[in-house]
Amino acid sequence: MSEEVQLAAVFNSISPAEFFYRNRHMAGFGNATLAVYSTVRELVENSLDACEDSGRLPFIIVDLVDESHDFVSVTVADNGTGIPYQHVSESFGKMLFGSKYDTRQKRGTFGLGATMAVLYGQITTEHAVEVHTQTGTSGGHAYRLLIDIEHNVPIVESDSTLDRDGPGTTVTIHIKGDLKRAQDRILEYLRMTTIVTPHAKVLLRINRIATATLGRWTEQLPSVPVVSKPHPRAADLEMLKRLIAENKQKSVRSILVESFQQVGDHTAARLLRHAALDSRKVGWSLSREEISRLSAALKSFDGFARPDGSCLSPVGRDSFLTSVKSVFPVSFCSYGRRGPSEWEGNPFVVEGVLASGDSVDESDVPVLYRFANKVPLLYDASDDVFMKVLKKIDWSKYCVRGARQVYVFVHLSSTRIPYRAAGKQSIALVPEIEAEALTLLRGLARELGKSARELGHRGRSVKKMHEFAKSFRLIAKFGASLAESDIPPTERLISGLFEGSDNGRVD
Amino acid sequence: MVESTNTRDILVQLGKKVVQSILNEEFPRLEIPDRSTDNIVFDPEQGQFVLGTTRVMRDSSKIRHVKSFAQLVWVASFAKDLLDASRTSSLRDLYYSSEAFGVKFVDQAESDRIVADLESLSGMAREDFGVFPEEHSSVYGQVTMRYTVPGYLGREVDLTVSPDGLPIGPALMTAEPVKSNAEIVLAVECGGMFARLIETRAWERFKAVLIHLGGQPPRSTRRLMRLLHDRLDLPVYIFTDGDPWGMHIAQVIITGSANAAHIRGLTIPDARWIGVTPEDIVEYSLPCDSMNDADIKRLDELALDSRYTGPEWQQHISGFKDLRRKAEQQAFSRYGMDYVVDTYLADKLA
Repeated sequence: MSEEVQLAAVFNSISPAEFFYRNRHMAGFGNATLAVYSTVRELVENSLDACEDSGRLPFIIVDLVDESHDFVSVTVADNGTGIPYQHVSESFGKMLFGSKYDTRQKRGTFGLGATMAVLYGQITTEHAVEVHTQTGTSGGHAYRLLIDIEHNVPIVESDSTLDRDGPGTTVTIHIKGDLKRAQDRILEYLRMTTIVTPHAKVLLRINRIATATLGRWTEQLPSVPVVSKPHPRAADLEMLKRLIAENKQKSVRSILVESFQQVGDHTAARLLRHAALDSRKVGWSLSREEISRLSAALKSFDGFARPDGSCLSPVGRDSFLTSVKSVFPVSFCSYGRRGPSEWEGNPFVVEGVLASGDSVDESDVPVLYRFANKVPLLYDASDDVFMKVLKKIDWSKYCVRGARQVYVFVHLSSTRIPYRAAGKQSIALVPEIEAEALTLLRGLARELGKSARELGHRGRSVKKMHEFAKSFRLIAKFGASLAESDIPPTERLISGLFEGSDNGRVD
Repeated sequence: MVESTNTRDILVQLGKKVVQSILNEEFPRLEIPDRSTDNIVFDPEQGQFVLGTTRVMRDSSKIRHVKSFAQLVWVASFAKDLLDASRTSSLRDLYYSSEAFGVKFVDQAESDRIVADLESLSGMAREDFGVFPEEHSSVYGQVTMRYTVPGYLGREVDLTVSPDGLPIGPALMTAEPVKSNAEIVLAVECGGMFARLIETRAWERFKAVLIHLGGQPPRSTRRLMRLLHDRLDLPVYIFTDGDPWGMHIAQVIITGSANAAHIRGLTIPDARWIGVTPEDIVEYSLPCDSMNDADIKRLDELALDSRYTGPEWQQHISGFKDLRRKAEQQAFSRYGMDYVVDTYLADKLA
């Protein structure tokens, strides 16, 4: 065998499963603490997505149990749609299999995460994953699954019918992990999850003891994102090749019109003129050079309308404000939203809440909480686009320092989140997102400044009232001493004076 | 002097007024004669400055007034306590005492102002309720006074008892003259001249009660001079430096100051300024200094002052203006230690 062939063989021998296991640190399974946290996170996100599809108010139960030898069992149960029985084994037993390849906002991206957890558990504990799911109103199936790592196919250890009290899915994964060190971070993650999923109720049990019940802050269901075709600018060369290969007999013009949003006959014709391609040419007749020219034209053509935002599901003003007020002791709260805009053809919305509490804080910048597609991001904040934007703003202008604790919650909704790494903890510096986030935060900061000034005025007038009351009581006291009588009561006079007057309103 | 029982009664009435309006659920208000310069007029009949008819309302329901209202009521109650305990206090002492009562003044100027408010409100001088300034001037002469203050009640003091003169404090101010050999009151501006007149026995020669003014004299000193003038029928002569400032010290003793326009019983309209006048500077060839801008400016101001409308005063002012020079009392020393007594005062008081 030539060297080239040998090398190819080596590459071929690595299945996706093996590749991901070798690079598990990238997926958030780098150490025993992170592994527990990531497992919980992947399962909870799948559960919430399943509930959203079902249109029910999510109720998620997270059970964490310390077993022997640093083994931890992680169980997450939901009341979602359940998994169609024919898909269960592949959903958990095969890498890169999932229901999430369509273009709409989802928490997970490729159905990779949960399988990664299964894989990690299998390798560290030699335990199968247990899945108990029910799609309809009755019945249910229980499975024990393993992954054939070498071939990236599921191995079904057992499959039995088992009744479940309602539709939904319960997944238990046994992993090697450090529950003690992970549990605070998990609690924080779940608490933050209810900020962007305020209609969910989450129960956390650690070693069979109910540790926390979080939510539900609102009964309001979020808008269900509509599945949409990709925007032409979001198509890379590979996607284009696949589309053409799948539609060999169609004209390039109909391929464009049928595959993409914001492309009608007219736009397609203009685009093809821009790419110097004959619009009647059929898929199979396109040369590689022509396809790459078309791909380049998709990026450079400026005649596309903006991507449709209906495939996005932001938290929304009322829900976001409600959840922040429910979780944090805040007095001032303001909501803002930018978009839909696009980055490389992917529609996105940035929304945020700026809140300030009553506690005093000396820090220069507010505390930042980041969210992407309704998932809280807890790690790697320093490299995040939102952190960069937060630091760009001169918060001292808006009376932050030395006044009140200020919190900023920023949520990015997009059909694709530009994560910096597979660990999905920080968002890359995409100029379009940065620009919208900066405008959003500036607007919120101005609101805060306004409120701080008003509060300042009110604070001063409360102070004025205290001073007034103090002086007035002295008048009564020394008046009485002069008159050699009892000190007359003053409170009614004082409160009467400050009631209803702008000067002395006390909230 | 207002009788002390009367003084006390005025303070008690003030307290009753305040308490009654609070009991009626009304914010107490006080009308205080306005002491701003707009409301100060010269009353030629009385020969002194008096307050006009404008009054200011101090309303305790106003945030801007409540603090000074409280301060005023406290000063009144402090004054009543002084009276009840037969004690006195200096203005500075009062300022420091306030803290113990939870009343705050920014500085002594503020507490002095509030004391003046109580004076104009009650129509009494602060000395009536035992509050005196810190500074003392002195007196020396052939008069015997009888104290009225507790502890010294009935005791008599000869005003020649000390060769340094006797400080004029609350006790002496309220004492009664019982015996006198004096025929005039001679007030001098500076301590050096006061000492000279005692040493040279000028008091004996002129039968004079000597008063050391020390610049603008405290009110208690003016009050004592008025007392000696009224009770013993002694004419008052004032001897100051020969400049606009010295002249004005005399003027304030004669017709009163704007600051104390709300107080009666301090002025001595028939007191006389004997010098140093501009004519004296020329006549006695006194060594002198050139006037500076401030001196000239002061002369311009005084020329327009209603207290200086008399032809004699206008003559003094134009005399200084023509001369553009000034001379101190001590300038007479160029002719020897005794010259001022033997020659100058002998001429003036003849």
